[in-house]
Amino acid sequence: MQKAPWICATCVQRAWRPLSRRGMRLQSTVASQTADISPALLTRARTVAQQHASIEKQLASDFDVRAARKLGQTTGITAALKEWEKANESLAELNALLKDSTTDKEMRDLAAEEMEPTRQALSAATAALKTSLVPPHPFAHLPCLLEIRPGAGGSEAALFAGDLLRMYTAYCSNTGLRCMILKYEDADGMADPRGSDAPLQEAVLEIENEGAYGRMRSEAGVHRVQRVPATESKGRTHTSAASVLVLPSFPSESDPSASGEENWDDPNSDYFIDPKDVRTDIMRASGAGGQHVNKTESAVRLTHLPTNTVVAIQDSRSQPKNREKAWKLLRSRLAQARREAREEELVAMRRSVVGVAKMGRGDKVRTYNWGQQRVTDHRSGVSVQQLGDILQGGDELEKVMESVRQWLGEQEVLGLVAEEEIKAKEEEKQKAKAKA
Amino acid sequence: MEVTEAFTKVESDTSTNSRNEFRWLKEHAIAATKQTASPARQGWRQRLRALCVVRGRGRPLQYLLGTEYFGNLEIVCKPGVLIPRQETAASVTYLVNRLVQRRSQLPSRLRVLDLCTGTGCIPLLFHDELYSAIAKHPRLELLGIDLSKDAVRLARLNWQEQLKDQTNVRGEKSPRVQSLERTNFMRANVLARVASDENPTTPSVEGLLSDASASGEVRSEWDILTCNPPYISPRAFNHTTARSVRNFEPKLALVPAERPGLSDDEAGDMFYPRLLEIADFVRAKIVLFEVADLEQAQRVAEMVVSRNAFERVEIWRDDPSQVNDHHDHTGDLKCVRLRGEGNGRTVVAWRAEGLDWLGE
Repeated sequence: MQKAPWICATCVQRAWRPLSRRGMRLQSTVASQTADISPALLTRARTVAQQHASIEKQLASDFDVRAARKLGQTTGITAALKEWEKANESLAELNALLKDSTTDKEMRDLAAEEMEPTRQALSAATAALKTSLVPPHPFAHLPCLLEIRPGAGGSEAALFAGDLLRMYTAYCSNTGLRCMILKYEDADGMADPRGSDAPLQEAVLEIENEGAYGRMRSEAGVHRVQRVPATESKGRTHTSAASVLVLPSFPSESDPSASGEENWDDPNSDYFIDPKDVRTDIMRASGAGGQHVNKTESAVRLTHLPTNTVVAIQDSRSQPKNREKAWKLLRSRLAQARREAREEELVAMRRSVVGVAKMGRGDKVRTYNWGQQRVTDHRSGVSVQQLGDILQGGDELEKVMESVRQWLGEQEVLGLVAEEEIKAKEEEKQKAKAKA
Repeated sequence: MEVTEAFTKVESDTSTNSRNEFRWLKEHAIAATKQTASPARQGWRQRLRALCVVRGRGRPLQYLLGTEYFGNLEIVCKPGVLIPRQETAASVTYLVNRLVQRRSQLPSRLRVLDLCTGTGCIPLLFHDELYSAIAKHPRLELLGIDLSKDAVRLARLNWQEQLKDQTNVRGEKSPRVQSLERTNFMRANVLARVASDENPTTPSVEGLLSDASASGEVRSEWDILTCNPPYISPRAFNHTTARSVRNFEPKLALVPAERPGLSDDEAGDMFYPRLLEIADFVRAKIVLFEVADLEQAQRVAEMVVSRNAFERVEIWRDDPSQVNDHHDHTGDLKCVRLRGEGNGRTVVAWRAEGLDWLGE
């Protein structure tokens, strides 16, 4: 006799509902690429191409650094637009051939045969054009800091946070990224990552390679774990979580030639921190100083007064080193917060047109299930069975991360479409007003 | 972990700092155990326990770990020589920052003399800070002087370490390394006017400098004179110093040698009149002396003012770079300016020639 496996009642009930009401999304629904492109986006691409042409003409007569940079930014879009127009034209020609009653049978067959590849070429060109229109993330080229903190779930969450830290460290060494632990704090305070038995409280991993932010951006969010914890005596599966923050890391010496945003010494920059706004507390025993006492305190705490952001570092015996690290962390946290505030505005604007998902620090992004040896990413919908390989930072992790990067790209295209539509609508309104 | 608790109880420090100290000792024990390759080596736990026990008895952490951070430098520390203090580093860094702000005024050849140099930390940090700001500064000459043989030996060791590191990083030809090569550390007695006093083999500072200049080794004119002399009075030594300082650091570097017939304050201030004499002898344009507290700072500032040889006198607090909003002046000495936050830490004075370098 065959015994049916046990299925939870809720799942059975859900099975009768249509897909949309089951509260789940199949993998196939995500990566659908439509061949059509919104007219708003197309207009934008054409304007950029016109600009490109005029800049090229201007550069031919006299050279200008800024114009040259602008040209470099628009080259991709112009090329993608050309490709798209070519594909679009050939499709139109084929269609015309098929509709034309004077076409003989042989030609018609040939055209029908050509149809499918041309369609595919067009959809690929459309996708490329859309991606080229999305401006690169302002932090994408920077190195990054990865902050890992346990969430709900007590010591099990702390253990999982430790697993994540090891996973990312291994990922970095597997993929040739240089990383180092900037801060490691367990329940007893600062600790040595190699020899700490106490549960992890907070860890900051610095990845020094350029472009690390763009690469690791997909990891920000809440990572959920489902397993029987080592501390569990009755064998029950627990669910707990750890949060991962990805912060941009700015070079410690500001480069004055860098563009306005990154030059954080420039008061006009979005990431400028006025030193007057930061209170430095050097945690040393008060009272006598000089030769009378022989202090060993080296901790440095920075407080950014307007936002009440506090960073404390006591890792090194050298106070200048601690201060440097603390500034780095503070700068990264504030920059990320300011960036998020800006993105929030954009999302609010886009929501008025279409619902666009935004994945921030509060959203559950991935589940690690020990029982099924499975990792599922809730954004791209990708599920991978090699849990072991993922936790060792292997190729499977890269696969999952890549799927999320693609998803992020698609989301950005959606956002861009929404933005262009808003713009187009507003222009129409104004035209209508002008007429009236 | 019971070891940590044991020494947390003994040390009066805050518990977070004890935890940090424990972590550093642990890292040290593990690293030291890895280095010793002998087959009968003890485990790092055993080593750590021994370290914690001696730390609990008050032995300074820096003597156990062998180094202390001073600005950006890691200075080797050994029993018998005073451990560098953070406040000293803050003063030196601030002095260099002030000089660098008016770099166009600086002479291409700058000579710095440090008395009671101990580990050699002040000249080495001065060198590091100056060349970090002005990589191409043509010529900086440094000389450190101490009475103690141990100190001069340790200062030379620290100097050699710096020279090795810098040569590896920047190559022999860089001005930074060449300046280090010209640096020297020597023995002399600051308090004695003539060599004959108690210790006939150790020359006085004047004697050493004029002998040396006669033999062409060093010239007897120095632009900047720095000193962190023994400045604790005998009474303060017994009552206000921390146990780990009193029992483990050399008294020679903390309290001036006792002379009969002096009040407690005078005994503590014994070095400063001599330092000012030497400042005249070497025609120092800027002097920087560390002091114990604001009261001593005011007494020393008064000595400086009464000599009528300096244009400006300032008292710097523990952290002179912090902006101080409360404009507190020092009692009768209206002309003396206070800078920074914390206790009075250094007295700085400069002559007319130094005005161009440090400004008003």
